[in-house]
Amino acid sequence: MSLENPFQDPLRFERRVPECAMVIFGANGDLTKRKLLPALYRLAYERRLDAGFAVLGISRTPMTDDQFREKMLASVKEFLEDSPFDADVWTAFAQGIFYMAGNFDDAALFPALDARLKEIDAARHTGGNVLFYLSAQPSQYIPIAQGVAAANVGKGSGWRRIVIEKPFGHDLASAQKLSAELHSAFEESEVYRIDHYLGKETVQNILALRFGNGIFEPLWNRRYVNHVQITAAESIGVEGRGAYYQEAGALRDMIQNHLSQVMATIAMEPSATFRPDSVRDERSKLLRSIRVMKPDEVLQNTVSGQYGPAHIGGEDVPGFREEPGVKPDAQTDTYAAVTFFVDNWRWAGVPFYLRSGKHLPKRVTEIAIQFNAAPLAIFNGDETTTAPNLLILRIQPEEGISLKFLSKRPGSGMKLRPVSMDFNYGSSFGERSPSAYETLLLDAIIGDATLYTRQDMVEASWTVVDAIQHVWDEAKFDFPNYAAGTWGPKAADDMLARRGHVWRQP
Amino acid sequence: MGAAGGIIAPDRILHDMADLWVTLGKQGEGDAGVLRACSMTLVVAAEESDDAQAIGETLAALMPEHPSRAIVIRFRAEDQRGLAARVFAQCWMPFGHRQQICCEQIEITAADASLPDLAAVVLPLTVPDLPVILWCRSPRLFHLPPFSQLAGIAQKVVLDSAAFGAAASALRQMSDMRGMRGAVAAGSLLADLSWTRLTRWRELIAQIFENRAQLANLPLVSDILISYRAADTPATAYYLAAWLIDGLARVGARPRVQFHSDSGEPSARLSRVELRAHGSADAIASIALAAGPCAEVKTGGLVSKALLPVLTDYDLMREELSIPGRDPAFEHALAAAAKLALS
Repeated sequence: MSLENPFQDPLRFERRVPECAMVIFGANGDLTKRKLLPALYRLAYERRLDAGFAVLGISRTPMTDDQFREKMLASVKEFLEDSPFDADVWTAFAQGIFYMAGNFDDAALFPALDARLKEIDAARHTGGNVLFYLSAQPSQYIPIAQGVAAANVGKGSGWRRIVIEKPFGHDLASAQKLSAELHSAFEESEVYRIDHYLGKETVQNILALRFGNGIFEPLWNRRYVNHVQITAAESIGVEGRGAYYQEAGALRDMIQNHLSQVMATIAMEPSATFRPDSVRDERSKLLRSIRVMKPDEVLQNTVSGQYGPAHIGGEDVPGFREEPGVKPDAQTDTYAAVTFFVDNWRWAGVPFYLRSGKHLPKRVTEIAIQFNAAPLAIFNGDETTTAPNLLILRIQPEEGISLKFLSKRPGSGMKLRPVSMDFNYGSSFGERSPSAYETLLLDAIIGDATLYTRQDMVEASWTVVDAIQHVWDEAKFDFPNYAAGTWGPKAADDMLARRGHVWRQP
Repeated sequence: MGAAGGIIAPDRILHDMADLWVTLGKQGEGDAGVLRACSMTLVVAAEESDDAQAIGETLAALMPEHPSRAIVIRFRAEDQRGLAARVFAQCWMPFGHRQQICCEQIEITAADASLPDLAAVVLPLTVPDLPVILWCRSPRLFHLPPFSQLAGIAQKVVLDSAAFGAAASALRQMSDMRGMRGAVAAGSLLADLSWTRLTRWRELIAQIFENRAQLANLPLVSDILISYRAADTPATAYYLAAWLIDGLARVGARPRVQFHSDSGEPSARLSRVELRAHGSADAIASIALAAGPCAEVKTGGLVSKALLPVLTDYDLMREELSIPGRDPAFEHALAAAAKLALS
């Protein structure tokens, strides 16, 4: 019989974290420097990792362990954001950081990797547990996964898991192909598809708000909810990634994954338990319930946009087609807005408006749930006296929840005004919120896939998005159709106006 | 805001608080106004000589995470009855100066002789439907017979056995209180900040044995060594020993415990804990305070560093206020530590 750790105290301690080694493919890349290593250091600082936790970075550039540690030290210091840096904690953590150079297409890399992992396991007692993190180009996912499988890397007494970043294909067919090839090397239960939006505290808090409280769920349906708006706005442009971006676009880059997942979290049915598969089953069911648009419905229910040049804050901002690496006649959508309907009893007839764009006026991600107005306006006054209630879930930059409702103005007479009741996540709980990568990396090490995307979810959202993308691919849009620094094309306003709605200005 | 003379009326204090909110509302900018936040009533019982500024700063730091109506009662050792009160607010601006959040604070000064009158004053001042936590900062107050009436209002009473003098006597008293023979009312929960000080040590130990290779060594532990920076063994050392013995018993180990007073500046802090196997030169695991706020963790030939700073009243209360319900691990450790200290 295996021993149980007798010292755990779940009332006061954080979650239990097993020993493991993490292999980062693409260790010299931006994601490793900006997100992964700062998140791992922060977990070490918070005493969340096993003492023997090890990181083995792999990329093409030849480097020694010490050179890699120096590089990671500089990254951690630069990208630690709101956290303190402690030299002693780093020194101890860095002893577990290793590096090997290699080409992911080279079959000889993988037996060497296996040998290195065995050495690390012997020295640091990582229990044979290995987390592979693919911070590499998507085209390299399959060579890596198959190389790992062919050489039986990390296959022994412990577990193996593989984390991959989006994009999970560029359409349904390629997503299915990617999945099939991954499954030739790893079981689906070992594949962790990361969507960093799901790791954000407020997205997780949606579940707490909906299923931890008794007062919201009775209102969470077509009878009381008028419509839902999900906005992910960026104030910057493509920032030198024009060449990549023109192959992706906002619909594929944001709506197919992040915003669909957020929508699924908002609209899913309560799960019977908080076990990973139970939550993911409900999320998946919701995604599969999104109505797939017929070709003749697409242009009525979607808007594709592309920013043009503008003068913002005394600075000339180039249009997308003037960005380096972008074709002068590019038809890429830097803005996408869609109207989705969910074909189930809870949401039938309720529009879900999703929009995402680059070079919008501010960086903000939020969900606005607009409730039906009071059925009768018994107070005389202007339109504010019938303003609908809004529940706003802010994801970034200030995570929090606001409820907008009407209140009587002080004084004689019955004059109403809207007021907002705010809950700010950061300030209501003095603790610093963990970054999305801290949350998700720890979940992967623990083996909790609740916040990770499953293949059936990926396929469901591609099914919906492909129907739109196919029509867009055939159309020729008159781009640019919005100036940088504005809230997107007028057609997006018209799309809502057809149903009597207006976009909220976050 | 608000003051009174020898007697105070709860209605008057509540009225002063209502006025306070009106004033704060008028000070709010535009439509933003102020938000009132409350998750509990926190009653603090302290000596008049206790550092008022430090208490105020601790409460201010606690408010964002545990917004509460704070009632601070400051006692002076006088035979003549006398009470006075004032109300004010602790506010902060979390929304980029758009809107401020405020918590209310009531300060009552009381002569010891007025202690029997206090429960009747405090009870109507507590916030309905929310828990009442009593943080007693002075052991002298705890031993005054009418204190039980005040403690009876609270769902949880927080004490610090480190302030009670000798650890053996302190733990016995605490254990008796839990046995409902003392000042804490039947049904009230008890917390000891000496136990809270151990959380990070305990968590580090637990984390070491999440590793299966280390866990396999646990039944081999034959000796526990606990060092501290104090002349006498502090309550934290007894708590840690009791908790370790209990955990090790569950994997079949029956270790001996040795306490050791370390040199260095006396601070009643633990300085080192080691788990050893009979006949082995190296410890199975050890944690020792190192330079600065760090501890050195050694296990299986690996050395790592973890932060283990000196905890402030704010750190300790922040943790205790997060646990409104029963804490079975503490209750078990308290009984065992008291037995160990008296053996």
